[in-house]
Amino acid sequence: MSIVEIEGLTFSFSRKEIPIINNFSFSMEKGEVVGILGQSGSGKSTLLRLISGLEMPMKGTIKIAGTTVVSEGVFIHPEERGVGMVFQDYALFPHMTVKDNILFGLSRLPRKQRKSRVDEMLELVQMESFEKRYPHELSGGQQQRIALARALAPKPNILLMDEPFSNLDADLKESIREELGLILKKADMTCIMVTHDRKDVEAICDYSIVVGQSNVPNDLNGDKIHTMK
Amino acid sequence: MKAELLKRKVKKEFNGWWTISLFGAVVILLPILFIFSSIFQEPNENWFHIRQYLLGNYVANTIILVVLTGVFTSFLGVTLAWLIAAYDFPLKRFFRWGLMLPLAIPTFIAVYTYRTMLGYTGVVQTTLRNHFDYQLKAEWLTISGISGAVFIFTLFLFPYVYMITRAFLESQSTSYIENARLLGRKPLAVFYKVVLPLSRPAIVGGTVLVIYEVLGDYGVTSYLGIHTISTAIFQTWFRMYDVNSAMRLAAWLMVIIAGVFFLEKLLRQRRRYHLSNKSRPLVPVKLRGMAGIAAFLYCGIVFLLGFLIPFVQLIAWAKLTFHKVWDASFFTLFYQTVYVALISTLLILILSVVVANVCRSHSSFSFMISKCVTLGYSIPGPIIAIGVLAVFISLDKWLAPIYSSVGLGEAPLILSLSLVMLIVGYFIRFMATGFNAIEVGFEKVGTKYTEASRMLGLGVTKTFLKVDLPLIKGSLISGFIVTFVEICKELPLALLLRPFNFETLATKTYQYANDEQIHEASISSLLIIAISILSVIIFQMIGKRGKQ
Amino acid sequence: MKLSKLFKPLLVSAALTVGLAGCGSTDESKSKGEEEKSKTAENQEVNIYTARHYEVDDAIYKKFTEETGIEVNVIKGEAEELIERIKREGESTEADLFVTVDGGVLANAKQNDILQPVTSDIINKNVPENLRDTDNNWIGLATRARIIAYSKDRVSPEELSTYEDLTSEKWNGKLLVRSSTSLYNQSLLASFIELNGEEKAEQWAKGIVNNFARQPDGGDRDQAKAIAAGTGDVAIMNTYYVGLLANSEDPEEVKVADSIGVFFPNQETNGTHVNISGIGLTKYSENAENAVKLIEYMTDVEAQEFLAANNYEFPVNPNAAKPELLESWGEFKMQELNFDTLGEHNQKAIEIFNKTGWK
Repeated sequence: MSIVEIEGLTFSFSRKEIPIINNFSFSMEKGEVVGILGQSGSGKSTLLRLISGLEMPMKGTIKIAGTTVVSEGVFIHPEERGVGMVFQDYALFPHMTVKDNILFGLSRLPRKQRKSRVDEMLELVQMESFEKRYPHELSGGQQQRIALARALAPKPNILLMDEPFSNLDADLKESIREELGLILKKADMTCIMVTHDRKDVEAICDYSIVVGQSNVPNDLNGDKIHTMK
Repeated sequence: MKAELLKRKVKKEFNGWWTISLFGAVVILLPILFIFSSIFQEPNENWFHIRQYLLGNYVANTIILVVLTGVFTSFLGVTLAWLIAAYDFPLKRFFRWGLMLPLAIPTFIAVYTYRTMLGYTGVVQTTLRNHFDYQLKAEWLTISGISGAVFIFTLFLFPYVYMITRAFLESQSTSYIENARLLGRKPLAVFYKVVLPLSRPAIVGGTVLVIYEVLGDYGVTSYLGIHTISTAIFQTWFRMYDVNSAMRLAAWLMVIIAGVFFLEKLLRQRRRYHLSNKSRPLVPVKLRGMAGIAAFLYCGIVFLLGFLIPFVQLIAWAKLTFHKVWDASFFTLFYQTVYVALISTLLILILSVVVANVCRSHSSFSFMISKCVTLGYSIPGPIIAIGVLAVFISLDKWLAPIYSSVGLGEAPLILSLSLVMLIVGYFIRFMATGFNAIEVGFEKVGTKYTEASRMLGLGVTKTFLKVDLPLIKGSLISGFIVTFVEICKELPLALLLRPFNFETLATKTYQYANDEQIHEASISSLLIIAISILSVIIFQMIGKRGKQ
Repeated sequence: MKLSKLFKPLLVSAALTVGLAGCGSTDESKSKGEEEKSKTAENQEVNIYTARHYEVDDAIYKKFTEETGIEVNVIKGEAEELIERIKREGESTEADLFVTVDGGVLANAKQNDILQPVTSDIINKNVPENLRDTDNNWIGLATRARIIAYSKDRVSPEELSTYEDLTSEKWNGKLLVRSSTSLYNQSLLASFIELNGEEKAEQWAKGIVNNFARQPDGGDRDQAKAIAAGTGDVAIMNTYYVGLLANSEDPEEVKVADSIGVFFPNQETNGTHVNISGIGLTKYSENAENAVKLIEYMTDVEAQEFLAANNYEFPVNPNAAKPELLESWGEFKMQELNFDTLGEHNQKAIEIFNKTGWK
């Protein structure tokens, strides 16, 4: 079963504008890590927001793990979709500790299991001793890892990442990229990653989609090429 | 060594800007210090009488009023802000700005309007009597006492909390809210666990503004016969001719106010780290069915009570007395009000900009100056008035030899009688309004552009004109409008400091209402409200254009 | 470089300040120097600081200007702040006349040494001695009585007699009166202190508080309305409010006036409490001649009748005719006391109010 199935997705910000996503179709399998490359304004972030339910498309259907979350007569709210997302600015809740941040998404889990899930996640991102810290006490790279841990904690069907490395400096990027790839494999997580940096895609993704005006062939890891416009 | 360091610091800080800021701060401090100085005189017998029988009552009433109003306005303001920011429902677009309109009706106008409306000869009771033959025995539907005051304050001051919280939610909270939802939490949990804690500085900021209004209020509390510290100051000064005891009461009030002031600063300090640079607008969620209707009704009722009903009532009364009261003098009234408000606002903005610019360096000098400059807002009007009056009369006496040498005659009262006194009074009182708006504007923009410009060789003034000013255009406009409207609505200062034959719309309204000529007061009230509404509309239009 | 940076902003501020000062003073009166230079007929004027806010007054001033060509400049405010202002302005004050309601305030003005005696035969003829200051520092303009209003339906005038009677059992829970912060009430109590002594006055206040139908709420007119609503049966209020209600544009208010009766208490004893509005000539008045002319005008029959007919106050000029409503009340006995005492006992009155809990 495909984890994500998208058919005929069309979206524009207002009726007068040309759709930024036009009749886009796509599917991916469990465990795949897909990169979406392109310049800013090309609609890649919008695609993520549509999948997560933060925006509503004009036309098209999206299915996640077999369930239709968006179609003609259906719209399932973000909190019900089982989609994890890491934003570009991480958006860790500043008034909560690391532990509480991760706990936040575990409300559907029975109480007894929550603590162990938190520990599991912290181990995954190798930040066990940071439980009681506040986000503003962490460095950029550390914040990113906690954001990841928080998103992964509820074991979502799919993880969406929007420019995950753009806020980090060059050498940090290298090491974090590697780690992220390992973490994703370890967690057997299906992931869509939006980025403007080829190197991100090369390091982690199974294949990528290029978005934008030109039909630049993608000669990276993959063989699948899709264009959105 | 220390002298060297000091000299270096002075060299770095000192420029024309700094001097002007200092000048402004002195102008504001002088009357205030003058007032405080009288406290160091011996208390008189009357003070002991006050202390024994009355002070407890005054303080208790003041605190009760402040607490109740604070609680209700926060609740109303936050719930409405959240509703508007996060959801879509029928007429939401209209309510978004419509819910600001209650601010256009000054509280002292609202109180007499509602009280008369619900009173014996008001529309509610007369309809009941004449059409349904029912005399409302109950006193419960009247606007009186503390409950009446809290009702009026809540309904007409909540927009402070609403506006500030809504602005925050709409742009600064998006990431957090979206993340919270993606993490699977229901809307109510998102509201309690994320939205509320994060909006705390905004809520606090708005509520503090409301509290200042309540603490310094004279119109509503005196009309309803509530004895607060502010009304006591008036009474002690006016009725008992005891300026000294009035000053002491003022000191008590200022202590409370200082407490509130510092509490707010304290609460704000901690949150600095979360001001995210990316302000993405929040995408509202559509409310369907019953939920949508409920939201609509909630906003609708608030709008009705807080604006539409009193507004319509005022129009009805205006129709009654129009022929009696309306004449050329109203144009003069209108013109005078706008004239003095305009000049004062310009002055305030100019100095606000200068001082705020100086304060961007975040040095201890600038900190002190910014505190001095915003002091006036927390001081009740009558206190400022008497201080200003005293200073100006001394000034005139001091300048007398100059006057006579220029041929203006013996000992004239040039400054004291002119509009300058009122303008200075407004200046002291509302400096904070303009300054806060501009300060926020500067904070949002940050120092990077300015620094870049300086590095490229432009001096402070040139940088300011070419770089800073255009960047804070939005804050300038909003600061201008808010200050302008506040001045038009202001009452105690205008009552006390105006020169001969000079009435503002507010003073005229007050005079009528106080003389129980409620119907006649409606016309000048409507003019004030019209000015406020116009400003709100312009504000909205500019805001829209700015977004594009 | 530093100096030039200073210059521009300083220059702007200085220009603004000067400009504003100019704007302000050119509009209004000129300074003394100019006045002395040009005392021609066109520039005649008189400046009033008044604590009376009635439209009627403005109309009278206008009429005065029409007749004499003398400009009347009016500054309105609260009595106490006006006195304070005149005092502080001292010799350089622009005020020629001070007008206010309440004998106590007039006495206070005199005490603060801001007034001077008025010498005019016309005025002395227009206004009887007891309605002027003993030294003519102020001249009475109109009076009002503080009477007992009662519900025509539920109370017969036979049940009423004195202010003191209002403290008796039978009015328990039926008495309406406004807050003690009202100067009208303070002067009422002050008059009792003068006539009956402190102790009796305090007893009276206590008795009144005991009989409250409700906590003081609203002005005099509100008490009348409360009688109509049935909240209480009797109220203490000023006579001219009854006139204003009866002639109101609002038919509901007229109904209220129709439903209440007016009773002048203490006719057998001390007389009904009467308070006075007055006008005084300021000590350092620059236009004393014009000022006296205005006082003469205001105390003359024409102006007095106009005042009574529009504001329902009692004229001081015995030759002035009263409007119908006032006539219908007939003659009544007034308290006999020096109005100065209202000011003397004001402090004490406030203290008694505070002690007895009359909010």
